[in-house]
Amino acid sequence: MITTKNLCKSFEGTQVLKGISETIEKGEKVVVIGPSGSGKSTFLRCLNLLETPTSGEIWFEGKNITDPKCDIQRIRQKMGMVFQQFNLFPHMTVLQNITFAPVKLGIMKQEEAEEKARELLKRIGLPDKEDAYPAQLSGGQKQRIAIVRSLAMNPDVMLFDEPTSALDPEMVGEVLQLMKELADDGMTMVVVTHEMGFAKEVATRVMFIDEGIVKEQAPPDEFFAHPKDPRLKEFLSKVL
Amino acid sequence: MEKILELGERYYNAFIAESRYLAYLEGIRNTLIISLFAVLLGALIGVLVAVVKYCAKENGNPVLKVLDKICGLYVTIIRATPVYLQIFIIANLIFTARDMELYAAITCFGINSGAYVSEIIRAGIESIDKGQFEAGQSLGLGHGTIMKSIILPQAIKNILPALGNEFITLIKETAVAGAIAVTDVTKAAQYIGSRTWDVLPPLFIAAGIYLVIVLGLTKLLNIFERRLAASDHH
Repeated sequence: MITTKNLCKSFEGTQVLKGISETIEKGEKVVVIGPSGSGKSTFLRCLNLLETPTSGEIWFEGKNITDPKCDIQRIRQKMGMVFQQFNLFPHMTVLQNITFAPVKLGIMKQEEAEEKARELLKRIGLPDKEDAYPAQLSGGQKQRIAIVRSLAMNPDVMLFDEPTSALDPEMVGEVLQLMKELADDGMTMVVVTHEMGFAKEVATRVMFIDEGIVKEQAPPDEFFAHPKDPRLKEFLSKVL
Repeated sequence: MEKILELGERYYNAFIAESRYLAYLEGIRNTLIISLFAVLLGALIGVLVAVVKYCAKENGNPVLKVLDKICGLYVTIIRATPVYLQIFIIANLIFTARDMELYAAITCFGINSGAYVSEIIRAGIESIDKGQFEAGQSLGLGHGTIMKSIILPQAIKNILPALGNEFITLIKETAVAGAIAVTDVTKAAQYIGSRTWDVLPPLFIAAGIYLVIVLGLTKLLNIFERRLAASDHH
């Protein structure tokens, strides 16, 4: 579904990604871990071109999206993204946050979008929050609504950029639970996180990025039980 | 007692005698017309310039770069020259025909205000977290939509006090319009003073008129600010 070919990214002379060639298949749940500054978030943000790669190619559903002729806005409609800082629109109600993009982009009519939004809100147990503003919600509620906002676009893949890192510890669980449900429904997911428990339980593949390259990857059982790369061993000994 | 009567007579002469209040009314009408249209023109120019400058910073498009330079030059020139001079230049450069003074004044104050408003709006746009733009992008929205529906509404809410200040300044600045023979409130007061040989009372009346207009505007802005703050309530 997503293929990167020798993906490189530099920021003002500092090379953050040093050639990543990976393929993510439909239905996979890839969890990306690594120390801070390793390039894992940059890798994720390149996948929907929030960061423009310095060189290399990214293919999504058979299209080269790094081609300047590619209509990236149309591609992004199929790639949901969830941010560390939620990034809900503070001047819109919860319902408006969810329905704004699908209605504006002509994917759904207003009533249709509202119906779908209410259905999704019910599913995450927040049906009474549709008229609330983001400032009135807890961090966990905000992040779950941010996830729902992305889901309302019917994406083919969901990208998560440290979705629980800005949350109070007691709110991490509810967000991870929702992500797990999504995974169980068969959503293709790429998740950058520090939650090793989530990686063990949900991932089909865990990827260790360090110094701008993929140093090791494997299914979670093998990945955590028998790490081979010395840097990964050191990393796991610190975080587990 | 005599003093009070004398004072009353002076103000009677300055305001009621020979239907002089009509002159103030004409002044108020012109001041309000100039202010209103100049504010609209200034806001329009301000938003355009601010968006051009913001986009040029994010994007290397050569056309945008040229536009950005032009906008920068405009802001620099307007802010570095007195409005008293600008109004003479505009009146003599563009609106040389007779009876065009009002248009000249509107254009002058609109262009002048636009330079200041653009800086305020630019600061407002830059105060919005970059994540808001990225969230819009990740949903597949275009730059124009993100700017119009996500960034600007939040930016304008943040800068409303500064914008209000600018509009209030603008209303008072329109007093300069008298320089090109527009009968605004100040000019009307001067005119009456020269007729009655008693300069001060009409000037005080004019001051009172400005005070009422500005207080009314302040009240309006407060109501507007409160309505925009609806999403802040916890």
